[in-house]
Amino acid sequence: MSGNSNVPKLTFWRTVVAVIFLVGIYATYLRYVKGWQASTNLTDAQPWGLWVGFGTLCGVGLSAAGFAIAAAVYLLGLERYRPVLKTSVLLSFLGYSTVCTGMLYELGLPWRIWHPIIYWNPHSVLFDVSMCVMCYTSVLALEFSPSLMEKLPYPRLRELYLHWHHRITIALVMAGTLLSSMHQSYLGALFLIAKGRVYPLWYSPYLTTMFYLSAIPAGIAMLIIALYLCVRSLNAQIEFAILEEFSRVMALLLGVYGVFRALDLLRNGALPYLFARRVETVYFWIEMLLLVVLPLALLSQSKVRNNPQSLYWTCAIVVMGFMANRLNVSITAIDAMTGANYVPKWPEFALTIAVLTAGVCAFRWAIIYLDIVPKREPLPTVKWVSSPAEA
Amino acid sequence: MGNTKAILVDIKRCVGCQACEQACQDIHQFPKEHPAHLSDVAYTFVDQRDDKFVRRMCLHCEEPACASACLVGALKKSALGPVTYDKNKCMGCRYCMIACPQGVPKYQWSKLAPLVQKCDMCFARISAGGKPACVEACPVEASVFGNRDALLSEAWSRIRSDSSYVPRIYGAEEFGGTSVFYLTDVPFEKLGFVKPPIGNQPLPTLSAAALSESPLVVLVGGSMLSALYWITQRRKLVALAEAEEEQHDSGKGTK
Repeated sequence: MSGNSNVPKLTFWRTVVAVIFLVGIYATYLRYVKGWQASTNLTDAQPWGLWVGFGTLCGVGLSAAGFAIAAAVYLLGLERYRPVLKTSVLLSFLGYSTVCTGMLYELGLPWRIWHPIIYWNPHSVLFDVSMCVMCYTSVLALEFSPSLMEKLPYPRLRELYLHWHHRITIALVMAGTLLSSMHQSYLGALFLIAKGRVYPLWYSPYLTTMFYLSAIPAGIAMLIIALYLCVRSLNAQIEFAILEEFSRVMALLLGVYGVFRALDLLRNGALPYLFARRVETVYFWIEMLLLVVLPLALLSQSKVRNNPQSLYWTCAIVVMGFMANRLNVSITAIDAMTGANYVPKWPEFALTIAVLTAGVCAFRWAIIYLDIVPKREPLPTVKWVSSPAEA
Repeated sequence: MGNTKAILVDIKRCVGCQACEQACQDIHQFPKEHPAHLSDVAYTFVDQRDDKFVRRMCLHCEEPACASACLVGALKKSALGPVTYDKNKCMGCRYCMIACPQGVPKYQWSKLAPLVQKCDMCFARISAGGKPACVEACPVEASVFGNRDALLSEAWSRIRSDSSYVPRIYGAEEFGGTSVFYLTDVPFEKLGFVKPPIGNQPLPTLSAAALSESPLVVLVGGSMLSALYWITQRRKLVALAEAEEEQHDSGKGTK
């Protein structure tokens, strides 16, 4: 009954992934062959939409764990986080890779994606963002590279690479921390110039600070989710105490963000908008509930923090709240002012999901086949015994 | 600054004949019929507001938000006055469309290699000493073309000599000044003019404030991180030395 072991078994999740990729391929065809109008609902009034709001803003923000954990281990000397360091670097590297892939769909002329390297406009926030993202993705690739290189079958080359890599690690970590801090906040600065085209609940001169303050806890939430799944499904062995500690750091950072956001709304004179009878008000409160109120209420309970599954779902709420925030800034706030009434077309969703799924598959592959995270012996699976034993 | 070019649009004089619009469509080989708003096939159109006609177009800001936003510098304020677009640099990020307070830049959504579309004040023609097509077509001189300074004083003298004008030139100071001015005899607010979000301050100052901090962030942040690393290393060394000493001492004790 064993069958041919070379043929992958058809499981539920493999089917789902296959369907996602097939639909993604069709959507890719629509985007590149049929064009924008067949694949998106973008208009002059809403020129950015889901691919920027979700793909770029959420993708970069949720990949913030890499620099945060690297800084904690190498610069703050928090050695107890070392077991999860490689996972966080992998997570960020793949996160930025999905962002760069998404750019190929999002840009009108994607074959010119390299243009910022030779055509500079230092006054442009987007120029700074693109430079930082380009440099930081390279830094992440270098930070991640030993995991691949240590699998090289040539010992001399392998040792040489690892030796050389070890010597530049601190420089990489420092560069990564600075680059991340800059572009995480500059993503918020993108909307500063659009004053008058951003609904007041989401416009503030401190968008930079708020993007930075929210990205780190959201990145940590994403890391907890990834680690939880590694332990649950991929035989990873991680002390839960680390995750519990992360959750307390995350709660603290979310609290700081919440206070900052509240003070900023007060300072901004945005109070009348908090209870205006408009659809934006609803989106605003959903965001606040998911990103600040619910997580803080849940994380204040040690019962929640100490239960892996509750913590996992709490982090999922944080991630959803973070997405709500970024989508509100980039879509809801613009829509409210230009009246675009934008709802993404299905290929926008399909391609977003397909790129993300590719990222998840790559993550799973790396965790299984590379030495990213400490492993335990797989639990013995129940094997069917053939009939003679039964008799 | 003195000899940059500009256009003065006098709403009081405009009769709504749309000759400017048609001239623009012709010169760019855009379709004659098009919806009454700016689009990738309409750089200017005559917007009817009750019995008034307001010609909408790119204002060619002195410090354009679009040019400041453009990461590759495809959009630029030319020395001559117009804000021009280099289609060979553009990568299609569409940040200019987010940044422009007037929503002027439009995108060719129907094309496979779409470009940003906006008025360039007929840059080629005026470089050669000519006038923009729209101005040339105007039969009643509701649109006039000339040096920015000269046009501003012309506008003020029209306001002074005729008390029915609103005593304000839209574009003289708005957004930090533009290269297209409007005169009117009914309040600007009634004609759908965009209220500049930060008054007469140019919009790029908003992002410049954030970006100006980056050298500081790199310097201060870099030194702080280095200091942190140094402290961390130092503590490790001290801890190691202490442990060794302890081992040494305890070794002595047992002897």
